Amino acid sequence: MTNSAEYRRVLLASQPPHLHPPYVSGRKRAPSKPLILIPNSLATVNGPVFGHEMIQPGDSDLTRQHSSEPLGERIIVSGKVLDDDGHPVRGALLEIWQANAAGRYKHKNDNHAAPLDPNFSGCGRVLTDNDGRYSFVTVKPGAYPWKNHDNAWRPAHIHFSLFGAGLISRLITQMYFPGDPLLAFDPIFNSIPDESARLRLISAFDWPTTKPQHALGYRFDIILRGGNSTPMESYRP
Amino acid sequence: MKFIPTASQTVGPFFSIGLTPLYQSSSTALASPENKITIHGTVYEADHLPIPDAVLEFWSADGFARVPTKDDGTFTVSADLPFVQSTTAQHFEVLIFMRGLLKPVYTRVYLGNPEATASDSILKLVPQARIATLFAASDGSPKRFVWNIVMQGENETVFFDL
Repeated sequence: MTNSAEYRRVLLASQPPHLHPPYVSGRKRAPSKPLILIPNSLATVNGPVFGHEMIQPGDSDLTRQHSSEPLGERIIVSGKVLDDDGHPVRGALLEIWQANAAGRYKHKNDNHAAPLDPNFSGCGRVLTDNDGRYSFVTVKPGAYPWKNHDNAWRPAHIHFSLFGAGLISRLITQMYFPGDPLLAFDPIFNSIPDESARLRLISAFDWPTTKPQHALGYRFDIILRGGNSTPMESYRP
Repeated sequence: MKFIPTASQTVGPFFSIGLTPLYQSSSTALASPENKITIHGTVYEADHLPIPDAVLEFWSADGFARVPTKDDGTFTVSADLPFVQSTTAQHFEVLIFMRGLLKPVYTRVYLGNPEATASDSILKLVPQARIATLFAASDGSPKRFVWNIVMQGENETVFFDL
């Protein structure tokens, strides 16, 4: 890829469109008029700085926020946050939220008839270190039903929110798990046109971070916009 | 750019679990009370129905604020008046996330008189008939503005692509 038109095509295919009709909730919410393209140079607002004082030491361990440990398969989710030039993003704030092991969110609007877990809130925060690395301890979330279409089920996922260097780096996404049979039927996952971009949202089971007698490791690396715009290659961990 | 950025996915309906701890209804750098303003409004989908599960982020060089919409689709945010650069009129950058949106929409809210901002380099790119969607209007009280957001259809708010 050497020219900007090709670059832009690949970039577009690697992100979902605003409107993906199989995802029903977007039909009345996605903008219908063309977006107005503005030069990057005119919107280079720096991101907010989130200091360590906003993060409590236990915020990255979702299994230690209550008197006992939650039910479910204990996992360690870790990875690197890089910009699109491959440089580590230091001090990036990650916020995560998820359903419990039974597929139930601790939220007033979640009516799924699965049990809440009194030992699981499903919320975590962490800042990346100097190498752009992060790590969370949690339990594997369950799949859950939703009303998008007949017999619709969301594949197991963890929501990730990230702040990088600036406005252009802001990202909210979802991390999925390898081998999940529901991925093929999920309109949110499949809203991304480019297959390789879709597959990069699936974490990898990871022996090096799996702790004996304790927890399974999953690896999920994240690329944020915000480097210099030059031609690119696919990121392969 | 060497690597393709990670794909966006919807914030979903349950984002308050993860995003509430760091909700800030006023910006981080409130320098002086006399610079503080409040913007309130409603976020609408097509057919003018309010959206109760959106979260808005207001970005400026001076601060950051994040607020969810309430059950009636309304939001209220307090922030410092943003610093004005020579090429722009006074505004905040705004990112809006919600169930149903696979990636955020990016817009701006300008404060002041649309006629007085002819030199703004971004507003010059916007069709005249749609510029009003980017302006917050005084609600009659000092330092309080009202700004409604229409996601789709007639009177759709102008959204930008970066």
